[in-house]
Amino acid sequence: MHTHLTTYHDPCNYGRKSERTFGQAYYEEPRWVTQQCCENFVEMYPNRVNNFCCGAGGGAWAAPYNEERIFYGRVKAKQIKDTGAKLLIAPCHNCRDQIMKSLRKEYDFMDVEVKYLWELVADSLIIEPREGEAEEAE
Amino acid sequence: MDPLLLTKREKHTLATQYADLCLTCGTCAGGCPVTGVDGLDVRKAVRMVLLGLEQELIDSRFPWLCTLCGRCEHACPMGIDLTAMLRSARGKRARDKVPGVLHKGVAMCLKSGNNVGIPKEDFLYLLDDLGAELAEEIPGFTVPVDKKGAKYLFTINSKEPFGEPEDMMYWWRILSAANESWTVTSENWEGVNWGLFTGDDESMKEVVGRIVTNYKELGCEYLVLPE
Repeated sequence: MHTHLTTYHDPCNYGRKSERTFGQAYYEEPRWVTQQCCENFVEMYPNRVNNFCCGAGGGAWAAPYNEERIFYGRVKAKQIKDTGAKLLIAPCHNCRDQIMKSLRKEYDFMDVEVKYLWELVADSLIIEPREGEAEEAE
Repeated sequence: MDPLLLTKREKHTLATQYADLCLTCGTCAGGCPVTGVDGLDVRKAVRMVLLGLEQELIDSRFPWLCTLCGRCEHACPMGIDLTAMLRSARGKRARDKVPGVLHKGVAMCLKSGNNVGIPKEDFLYLLDDLGAELAEEIPGFTVPVDKKGAKYLFTINSKEPFGEPEDMMYWWRILSAANESWTVTSENWEGVNWGLFTGDDESMKEVVGRIVTNYKELGCEYLVLPE
């Protein structure tokens, strides 16, 4: 169990995009998973369907417009910093890279740890590793 | 300065379903973090399309500065397909004018089966090597490759084997702890479809088709795309 104040970033692909393309958004499931692993949880505002993009979506992480990508991410950076959280769960490769590798440095919040959702789960599974018997399904 | 002769221009080259319903309210642009960059915003992009300035929009950086996050579209009171419009503007660019590495990734994926051109033998060696490393923590662990009848087929973000291979262990650990039946494939395992970003429907379809072929040939129950 992680005790740090934790927040969750809604990737557009799991929310708005998924809803528009497949008729189903995933807002509550990842929050449930996060809260099984982290006891102190705080929401960003706005969140879910109105959440702000990390700024690196749509291929922007691989595009050459770095200055614009970082400028775009200022809103996300403010949302994160306003929560006071020390752990951010970002369950999308693009969002995680933009926030962890770029925005933290550009907007001065290196003290916030960034993890994938499955990284959080995997880390929580092995919090007390057992000799030889790590394969217990719990 | 000569007036623009809009009547001589080809109309509706972009996907602009419902764009003529635009009330010009600016809700879309008002909530977008990239509004104003290059003097453009999504509301202006709609005006450009409706006024016949489609080519100017295609030639501008704006469709690429937009992240296609869909927040504008969600807020639009008239339900205009704003991201489809901007994505189609990306698709109208000549492929050698697509910014950065995006189209090179698409071309590489069509050629090699993944966006960064990792050869099959290197990929299999990596899985073997990392699997052995994880086996030190989870005795007996190996990465199942091309396993027929596995319940879950996992595709992989090429970024992981390319640059952050140890990150694959996160999901391997979870699957192992849950004692699930799963597999990855030795070919066409790329889970990141950059044709989505470059507006390239044909390439996108080809890449999806290869994944579906893997899925069917192995008889898997669920298909999992990378987190």
